[in-house]
Amino acid sequence: MVTDSTADLPDDWRTTYGIEVVPLKVIFGDETFRDRVDITDDEFFRRLGTATKLPTTSAPSPGEFADVYRRLAEHYEGCISIHLGAQLSATVQAAQIGAQQVEGFKVEVLDSETVTMPIAFLCKVAAECETLQAAKAAVEERVPKCRVLALLDTLRYLEMGGRLSRAQAMIGTMLDLKPLLYVADREIKPVERVRTRSRAITRMVEFLRGELPVEHVAVMHAQAPEEAETIAAGLRQELPDQEIVIGKIGCVLGTHTGPRALGTVYIKK
Amino acid sequence: MASMASRRPVGVDGPLFKQALLGSLNWLAANHEEVNRLNVFPVPDGDTGTNMLLTLQSAVEDIKESNAAEVSKIAKLASHGSLMGARGNSGVILSQIFRGFARAVEGKSALTPRELAAAFEEAANAAYRAVNKPTEGTILTVAREAGRAATTAAGDVEATVPGVIAAAAAGARAAVLKTPSQLQILRDAGVVDAGGFGLQLIIEGMLKTVEESESFQLDTAAMKPKAAQVALDLPEGGWGYCTEFLIDGAGLDVDVIRGEIEALGNSVLVVGEPELVKVHVHTDDPTSVITLAGGFGKLLKLNVGDMSTQHKRILDSESAAGRPPRANGVGLVAVVAGSGLVDIFRGLGVDAIVEGGQTMNPSTQDMLTAVDGVPYDEVVLLPNNGNVILAASQVPSLTKKKVHVIETHSVPQGVAAVVAFRPERNGADNAAAMKAEAARVQTIEVTHAVRDTRSNGLKVKKGDVIGLINDKLEFAGTDYVEVVNKALGKLGPDSYELVTVYRGEGASDDELAKLESAIRSSFPGLEVEVQQGGQQHYPFILSVE
Repeated sequence: MVTDSTADLPDDWRTTYGIEVVPLKVIFGDETFRDRVDITDDEFFRRLGTATKLPTTSAPSPGEFADVYRRLAEHYEGCISIHLGAQLSATVQAAQIGAQQVEGFKVEVLDSETVTMPIAFLCKVAAECETLQAAKAAVEERVPKCRVLALLDTLRYLEMGGRLSRAQAMIGTMLDLKPLLYVADREIKPVERVRTRSRAITRMVEFLRGELPVEHVAVMHAQAPEEAETIAAGLRQELPDQEIVIGKIGCVLGTHTGPRALGTVYIKK
Repeated sequence: MASMASRRPVGVDGPLFKQALLGSLNWLAANHEEVNRLNVFPVPDGDTGTNMLLTLQSAVEDIKESNAAEVSKIAKLASHGSLMGARGNSGVILSQIFRGFARAVEGKSALTPRELAAAFEEAANAAYRAVNKPTEGTILTVAREAGRAATTAAGDVEATVPGVIAAAAAGARAAVLKTPSQLQILRDAGVVDAGGFGLQLIIEGMLKTVEESESFQLDTAAMKPKAAQVALDLPEGGWGYCTEFLIDGAGLDVDVIRGEIEALGNSVLVVGEPELVKVHVHTDDPTSVITLAGGFGKLLKLNVGDMSTQHKRILDSESAAGRPPRANGVGLVAVVAGSGLVDIFRGLGVDAIVEGGQTMNPSTQDMLTAVDGVPYDEVVLLPNNGNVILAASQVPSLTKKKVHVIETHSVPQGVAAVVAFRPERNGADNAAAMKAEAARVQTIEVTHAVRDTRSNGLKVKKGDVIGLINDKLEFAGTDYVEVVNKALGKLGPDSYELVTVYRGEGASDDELAKLESAIRSSFPGLEVEVQQGGQQHYPFILSVE
């Protein structure tokens, strides 16, 4: 199993499920950091708060993927490589070209079409399959059902990174609106806009009610653990039997969400 | 590079190619911010220039240390380095361009102009092969056109290396300028393709170096820096003029006319008969087109339209009411007064504004006209004032359209209602959600008493500052801060998160600043947002939610 750092994989999953993580990069001026290798999430958000110019992000290079695949080829016949949605990043493309460099090793590069922990859940699902074929089928079946509902404290970062304009977010106004953004069907679209965070949090829980049944649920946050816990508590009431993972948004995604972002992520059944 | 000038290279060898790539790097480094600026929402690489620069840096990293005499060795290092350092879609494609180039020159120590052109072409082919679904109007197209132009130039028996690279650069530049005609998204954003422009810079950087090394006569330093602006000028300097007319004459040759017009612009359409020819062209220089055409015959129905103005008009109308039609087919009409508030409601997506409010109550007819004027069969109407609700409630019975009147008593309620509107939800559900959200907001209105009065147990003198909570007179005093503090205290700030202050015409900067800091210090738990409302009669309207 190979994924990239935007899967926001919980640390222990690497060993539990045997997942390789290829880091994307975050670039502050002349300095390049590998996501969660050269910089921790906490350091990143601290720097983000004081940076005069916003950082940029970039996909791993094909060569970096090739290195990982080559290493795996010493022990395995093939792998599944699940990555950040191709509509958002060149990561899938880099993985595909990287895979072509390694002969005699079967790489199934799969486009998750989404961001953050749904990718981790897809990896988990794949890791629990017996064969490469079964894993591929299980992932492909779930890709169209991955959902992310995000609350950004400000749209500034997403706008600067070019992933969404104010018009697309239904924010053609000077009012400080907080849109709830829904990542589904390879699109980021606003589903609701509210004026306060607590209202947004209530709406996030209510929104999930309309999405049931779901499996693999997590609450993601960028430096907002208490609010994430509030959302998780709300979700537990809706889904008493479901484990609710609380995950942290990493540097690369954080570059585009900015601090204090919150999200509910899940896979629809 | 002085040492290079004394050499007379017969072709592109290792050292020359190395110098050329370093030239590319310098040129791209000097201009990559311009590439970044060609950002198109929602294309992911808003940092295309940076990504390409970093990819190119990685490509030349190992080359710097190499003294290889063979072009093949330098090309291979560039290919490997770029693959390792490729970032972003454009960077990845650039790495494939280097890869294709390296394959084409494998085993060669130096390239003839013809071999160089062939390598450019193979570089473009490799890039196309690397992409699942090649899109025209991108770096791919620019690579291909550069290769084609190079091959054409190389066909000349007297072709030189600088000549071939110059042709490639010119081909790239022309292709970049055409990218908006190939991709809607570029056209909409008014920019050329960023990745393609980056590739143009890379080839131009090569050209500069190679020309210098051969003591080429052209003053590249003075001429080439404009290249960056040429591309950027397209959106900024305008989209040219859409020029149309008929030529009335005898024995007109459509092909000859088309050929001459084509030299002056693009999107050329020339059709007709020997007696009458219709011409359509987009040109920066309509005068020359008209003069030229006038030589063929008499011009009829001459029409020159400034496409920049057209473009701007499209943008303007999109930003106002002319947004793409809503999925739910529901329109929004609001009664608002005050320039700032009008902008706020427009910005939130309201299709038509009826001017009016506290003292200028609009008539039922005014609202009916607005409702009938919006291009939707179902309309949500927001009166936004207690004195307007009754007139608004008459509207549904007077129109064939389905009208939902949300009884918003104040501007804050109106804003809350519009914010809750969702373009994909049907009218009835929207109306219910908007009503519920409006009810969640508390309104504080601050004004001056127009006469002495006694109301709600308060004794008020003319000119006093008075505060109303949800239309009910609650406090009177001598200054704004005192009244607002009392009103917020009464609402119980612990139950609320955000105060939005809409500043009216009658409030000075100083009064606004005082009020804002007073709220912040008295109620540190509340967020305070200030908006220019521009409303009359109420120096301040506060929304508490």
